[in-house]
Amino acid sequence: MSSVLFLNLAWQISTLALVALGLAIVFGKLRIMNMAHGEFVMIGAYAPVITSTLGLPGWLQAPVCLVTVGLIAFALERSIIRHLYGRMFDSLLATWGIAILLREVVELVFGRGYQSVSPPIPGTINLIGADYPAYRIAVIAGIILGFGCLYWWNTRSKVATQIKAMVGNPELAQAVGINTARLSAGAFVFGCCTAGLAGLVLAPTIRIEPMMGLDYLIRSFFALVVGGLGSLEGLGIGASIIAGTQTFIGSVASQTYGYLAVLTLSILFLWLKPNGIRSTSR
Amino acid sequence: MTTLLDIKNLTGGYQDTNVVFDISFQIEAGSLLGVLGRNGVGKTTLARLVQGSIPSSAGEISFAGQPIGGLPAHARRQLGLGYMPQTSMVFDDLTVHENLHLGHNATPPEHYFDLFPRLAERLKQPAGTMSGGERKILAFVRAMSEDTQLIILDEPSEGVQPENIDRMAECLRERVAKGASVLLCEQNLNMLSNVSDCFMGLDSGRITMTGNKANTTREDLNAVLSL
Amino acid sequence: MVSVLLPASALLAALLLVPELFGDFVAYQIGLYLIYGIAAQGIGFLWGKTGVLPLGQSLFFGIAAYVTAITLRAEGHLIVNLGLATIALAVIAGFAYVLATLVFRGRNESGPYFSLITLALVMIAEQVAGTATSLTGGFNGMSGFNSLANLDPFGGFYYVIVAATVSVSVILLLLNKMPVNLIARAVLDNEPRMQLLGFPTHVVKGAAFAFSAMIAALAGGLFASHQGIVTPTSTGFALSAELVILTAVGGRFHVLGPLIGAVIVGWASAELRDSFPYWELLMAVLFILVVLKAPGGIAELIDTAFRRVWPKPAKATLPAQVAPSVRFNKSPMPLRFEDVHLQIGVVQILNGVSFETPSAGIVSVIGPNGAGKTSALNTITGNLAVTRGQITLGGHAIHSRPPHQALNSGIGRKLQVPSVFFSLSVAENLSIAMMANRLRLADLFRTSTYQWQSVALKGVLDHPEVPLAKGLNEPVEYLPQGHRQFLEYAMTVAAEPTVLLLDEPCAGLSPDETGLMTTLVQTYQATTKGLVIVIEHDMSIVEAISDKVLVLHLGQVLAFDTYDNVRQNPEVMAVYAGGTK
Repeated sequence: MSSVLFLNLAWQISTLALVALGLAIVFGKLRIMNMAHGEFVMIGAYAPVITSTLGLPGWLQAPVCLVTVGLIAFALERSIIRHLYGRMFDSLLATWGIAILLREVVELVFGRGYQSVSPPIPGTINLIGADYPAYRIAVIAGIILGFGCLYWWNTRSKVATQIKAMVGNPELAQAVGINTARLSAGAFVFGCCTAGLAGLVLAPTIRIEPMMGLDYLIRSFFALVVGGLGSLEGLGIGASIIAGTQTFIGSVASQTYGYLAVLTLSILFLWLKPNGIRSTSR
Repeated sequence: MTTLLDIKNLTGGYQDTNVVFDISFQIEAGSLLGVLGRNGVGKTTLARLVQGSIPSSAGEISFAGQPIGGLPAHARRQLGLGYMPQTSMVFDDLTVHENLHLGHNATPPEHYFDLFPRLAERLKQPAGTMSGGERKILAFVRAMSEDTQLIILDEPSEGVQPENIDRMAECLRERVAKGASVLLCEQNLNMLSNVSDCFMGLDSGRITMTGNKANTTREDLNAVLSL
Repeated sequence: MVSVLLPASALLAALLLVPELFGDFVAYQIGLYLIYGIAAQGIGFLWGKTGVLPLGQSLFFGIAAYVTAITLRAEGHLIVNLGLATIALAVIAGFAYVLATLVFRGRNESGPYFSLITLALVMIAEQVAGTATSLTGGFNGMSGFNSLANLDPFGGFYYVIVAATVSVSVILLLLNKMPVNLIARAVLDNEPRMQLLGFPTHVVKGAAFAFSAMIAALAGGLFASHQGIVTPTSTGFALSAELVILTAVGGRFHVLGPLIGAVIVGWASAELRDSFPYWELLMAVLFILVVLKAPGGIAELIDTAFRRVWPKPAKATLPAQVAPSVRFNKSPMPLRFEDVHLQIGVVQILNGVSFETPSAGIVSVIGPNGAGKTSALNTITGNLAVTRGQITLGGHAIHSRPPHQALNSGIGRKLQVPSVFFSLSVAENLSIAMMANRLRLADLFRTSTYQWQSVALKGVLDHPEVPLAKGLNEPVEYLPQGHRQFLEYAMTVAAEPTVLLLDEPCAGLSPDETGLMTTLVQTYQATTKGLVIVIEHDMSIVEAISDKVLVLHLGQVLAFDTYDNVRQNPEVMAVYAGGTK
């Protein structure tokens, strides 16, 4: 395997893991089948467009991204999502409506055309014998570090258990003193913010447009299905298999075959191993 | 004695249908009120109105002198009001250990493992895989361990083997002796008459009998339950 | 019959008036919306009745459209074309049936996984349709063929669409009246209970999915003929999502709902899309509002308004009919456990259980909490598969089969926490129970099936103290726990099982109700001369009813003997003293 292919794999897997993290929380934990997940990635990707349009300095990209996505997610959770806990199919439909709504709003504000932004870190670095964009290497390292922190926090915190308790039995969760309204809103907003962050880091490497979300949604869903809902390890395994298959088959055959392979793999998992490879708690 | 729970003219139920009507009673600190009545008379509804998972349509609820009728269930729990529901009384997806340590405990749950050794053997097992009686015991121990002043128990003995019912009664007496108050909804008259300081009988959502340990006979209790 | 004829004739009249009132072009447009509406009706049937939400319905729509395009291009004889269409519909339905039964076998949910599979399938289809240029014409699609029988899409073909719309609606309206409808709703409500009543629920869901796929395919064929062009979008994800939205907005619980949704949304979209820039935004908001505030969609709103003016007539109680006899062997048989082991995860639940019951009588099962009593019953009904050993009934192995086969061997089961159909009325619950093991294919489509009543059920309902007969038309949802116990008991004995398994039937009952329940159980055993196995903690009940007592402890048999002998057994006394209420 060539060094470039290896680094491409690392890039695709780590970014997919970051994209899917929010869905792992919102779908895997809160049981909201969030069809608007890709739209939060899309809005995050527009953050550099916002800062450059307003003439703000580059370091404000991340705060602008998190505040915008966070506020939208909070407003949606309080007005719509909170009625949908425990109603899986209704959550699917309502978030589908939200996805259309967000796409239309972005289209009205920024227009339908493509936007592009330049990476904050220019140039390339020579790593394991290949010249690779420095920005991508920084992002890969950042994501690995971020997941490390999350894993460490998750093993120490009661929050994951509380969310699981709340989703399984909301009434009893209240009876043991869990403020379910605050916990669910917090988890939803956190999940959406990680999606926004994923969009922000992807922004310099893609064409930014209002319809870009669907592809990220589909691949995130399938990464979760293959890896198994509810665990960080499962998320990593799922992202590796989905992004790995697509990148590898895409490079030796064609993008279409890579895509078909991912879809076929996902169907086999959904049918034969619906709980994924790892489905343990946490 | 001070009044911990004071219910005045409480009416409520589900959606538009009221199930209990004009209920008034008090529970003293360090005493146990046994609520009895046939199926469908409103025991569970009363428990849930006091605990806060359903809103009341009229009446007042005060806890330790503070009106709590408008508070959500989790806020009532934080004030010291614990609850064990009749059904779905444990978190099925959580392990036994997680079930016991999710809330704030005053007594370590391990304190009760001598009486209910089965729990200690099953700490890592998801609660949903345990038998019905074991789940009742788990929920009961959780409710006993929490740092609460008033514990509402809805049919804790249902499906529990007689020896374990006696152990439950023992735990209740111990908690009450240490100053806790209990609202116990039960159909098992042995357990109820064993532990209650006061009795309250319900029929068709209204109070039909009240009494205390001294002036209530087994026949009085039987009369409430018979058709 | 009014509830079928009235909406069907109103629909027919309205559709026939369209070309007269608005002209051929509007009729052409409405024709397209109706085609989408038909496909949406199929979704409404599947989703509204069984709870299975198909996200890839355009798979069948698109395949049928391509097949139609290829067939029409060949310019064969009309009869040949119709023959081919029938074969195509049958093949599509067969594929859908096999797919759904395979996925749903051994799984008790309508869950999101099946929806995601249909979604992935439609995405594959869209890719293939776009890539396989030689077969499908690639992204440009297939065109250059005439409509079916060379009818003018702006003229005569409209009436073909009307005929299809009305036929599909009439079929769906008729199905609403029939037991098959009640069965689908019961599957949605409580699948494990349906299986214990002997219904293979994966077959029910597979059949419903096949039927909805066939309707989608019919719409796809009409679409190709009507539009004269088929592109990969006809088998794409966007169309699938659109069809689901039409169904939700129109109303999935009513036959005409999806049609109304398709026509209203289609018409409004054509009128407003270009003149009103916020049209898509408005649609999204409206759609979210429907999901949140009016899950029944437009049809439900219309129905509520209509019922305010013209209330639904009260359901007349039809006289009971003698139910046909059950199919299982009714001669009493002994139940035998041979070294049965059961392990779940790391927990060993049953650890070599062996015993043989008499072929008739009442056997009580006692033991400390967690001894494996309920699990033992679960291995008999197949809800849990044994890890070692075997269970036989009259010499036939019955362990580790799917739960819906238990009743075929004459095994009826009442669960620990009453398991009934909460969204149905008491009478509907009992109807479902009466169909258990008696239903033949034709009975699914006969309303007289609702009137069936067995001797055992009548015995329970007619007992003056049983609290069910008064509120037959009440919804079960608000019944107190104790009444649910009696309802589930009545449902379990309705099939008159030869082996009746009761898991703590007296839990949550007052002393009087407990007495009533034990009387019912004893009467049942005395009349049927079968075997009854009861899990019970109350020793006074155990003493009163038991011919034999089985004591379980830590997944093993501690004793299996008469009540008196068990009482004096020192090993039993050491672990289980027992008591009374």
